[in-house]
Amino acid sequence: MLKKYQEAYTTKNVQFVLTDLAGNILDSDQTFLPINKKGTIYDVHPFFYCFSSIATDLKTEVFFSCVHLNFDGKAYITDIKFIKKEEGVLIIISDYTQHYEEYQAIAQARNESIINGELIAIKNAELEEREKFKNSFIRNFSHELRNPLTSIISITKIISDTELTDQQQNMLSFLKESNANLKLLLDDIMSISMISSGRLVLRNNVFSLPQMVDLINFTYKARANESDLQFDIKTDKKIPEFVEGDRLRLFQIITNLIDNAFKYTNSGKVNLEIQFNQKRANKISLRFEVKDTGIGIPEDKIESIFESFSQLNQSSLKSKGTGLGLSIVKGLLHLMNSEIKVQSKPGKGSTFYFDIVLKQPIPNMTKPQVKMVAKKKETILKLRSDKKYKILLAEDDINVQTVLFKLLLDTKYFSIDVVSDGALVMEQLINNEYDLLLIDINLPNVTGDQVARLIRDFPFKNIKNIPIIGITAYAFEDNLKTLKSSGMNAILSKPFELEELIEILFKYLK
Amino acid sequence: MQVSKKIVVLGHFGVGKTSLIRRFVEDSFSDNYKVSIGVHITKKVVEISVGHEISLILWDLEGTDDLKTIRDAYLLGTHGVVFVFDVTRPSTFQGLNTDLEIVKSKMPSLPLLVVGNKADLVVKKDLEEVLSKNAIATDFLTSAKTGDAVNDMFLKLAKLLD
Repeated sequence: MLKKYQEAYTTKNVQFVLTDLAGNILDSDQTFLPINKKGTIYDVHPFFYCFSSIATDLKTEVFFSCVHLNFDGKAYITDIKFIKKEEGVLIIISDYTQHYEEYQAIAQARNESIINGELIAIKNAELEEREKFKNSFIRNFSHELRNPLTSIISITKIISDTELTDQQQNMLSFLKESNANLKLLLDDIMSISMISSGRLVLRNNVFSLPQMVDLINFTYKARANESDLQFDIKTDKKIPEFVEGDRLRLFQIITNLIDNAFKYTNSGKVNLEIQFNQKRANKISLRFEVKDTGIGIPEDKIESIFESFSQLNQSSLKSKGTGLGLSIVKGLLHLMNSEIKVQSKPGKGSTFYFDIVLKQPIPNMTKPQVKMVAKKKETILKLRSDKKYKILLAEDDINVQTVLFKLLLDTKYFSIDVVSDGALVMEQLINNEYDLLLIDINLPNVTGDQVARLIRDFPFKNIKNIPIIGITAYAFEDNLKTLKSSGMNAILSKPFELEELIEILFKYLK
Repeated sequence: MQVSKKIVVLGHFGVGKTSLIRRFVEDSFSDNYKVSIGVHITKKVVEISVGHEISLILWDLEGTDDLKTIRDAYLLGTHGVVFVFDVTRPSTFQGLNTDLEIVKSKMPSLPLLVVGNKADLVVKKDLEEVLSKNAIATDFLTSAKTGDAVNDMFLKLAKLLD
């Protein structure tokens, strides 16, 4: 009585087929596959071509899981068992299509995720390789440019100290401006390269925020007067005098934003406002806002202005600039865990702002540092009026050599000996007595840092303790660290101004 | 009855085993990647010399990065092997020589072809450099997408099996 219900509700997913050892089908229950009794198992599906090799060696049974079979356009995923019987071979085919399809979906997701992960890793490695190449190119390119630029800046300085006609003075001022622009471009390219390669390390120090603001005010008031613009700074009274952070980079961010505002403002004003957001423990959050009444930025251009070498296409620009300023701002703020934001209306003006967290140091920690700065200046003044110092200059670039030689002699503070090969430095130091060694890093035969190591390991004190100032065009953060570890007292990056050189020389001269 | 030879096609997942067989059997290609599970079996009759045909039974095995886990039943009665890797994914060929040792231990003394697939996606010179760096010797560089070298590869194996 139950048979009709059993037939209706029992899943028909197992089929039995009996064959002889030659593969002739003896019986088939036709449960779900149309395998009829006529013909051989080989004709059923290409899978059963394996029958001959199975039947030959079949001892008890062989099992195949997850075999795809197609019959009359319908796909089945089955498990198939071959069992040795006295008549020949019993084949049991179980339909697990639904079960295996669920498994297929899981395998699909898993494999796709693994493959995508691998492809992303390959892409990233490729991008990293390109980035490395780009940075190495920039480094070499900047090195090649810095050497001649040092000579050009120095020679310009020498010429400007001679008697010149008005016309020559005029041309010289153009030359100076071009030098300054080229130096700025090089510095900006270096900054971008250092930020993007992760070489730029923030240097946190205690500094006076009002002093920095005064300097900005002094600089841009003068510029505003020249441009018939108004420049004002508004600071919140709650802002402390001393804060701890990277003063140089913060200054760079603010001045880049103000420069940008001046560049795109023809009339009206440029304002800097510093607001106090909040204080938590010894950390304060400040908002810096640079607002202008300039040409503004169309909404569809806002994203792109932070890309390197991006400039709004305006013929009325007052100065060309490098097109790297905002890109540097974005990169530096990212390093400081902050973000540049902008609100702008074409024809009305723009507001660039960012929030930054700085440490507020314990009050008595700040004062000695201020005193130290003052003391250093006194020392320089005192040394300047004393004796004449003997310097050994090791530099192989004939232009830089000539310029440095002349510049230093002209100051009347120094007498100079020159060598152009790293291998000659030690001999010169042993046979003479010098107050300081000024040495280029990239010397032939023995490099500047190798010489410095030799000197610091030398047994005689007068040589071992000589102050060493390195000069390099490879002015990258990690490179400077390596050079300093060679025993040099200080490193000067090319191109440099005479005043910078003199200051650093006096710092280490006894 | 025609002589039939069983060929198993092996390799890591996503290297294009199913696509190679589809290109060879149906002369078609699909960009949609559908993961194969278990085994698909297809048949193709090839003429290896004038009037001499052979029936190739192609077993497209589920891809795996651990060849030791391949079910032995799948390999029963195999006559020839195609080992496929993806030239764009180093993970599929960095351990190739070890993979081949496993294949040879499971199916000793069988004709075996090593095939680098998706060759249309890379520059040939760069690929040769990478393969040489990884000490990999291939029999064929194929593209299931363009059909490049696919027929030649299966035909060569058919001739080896004859």
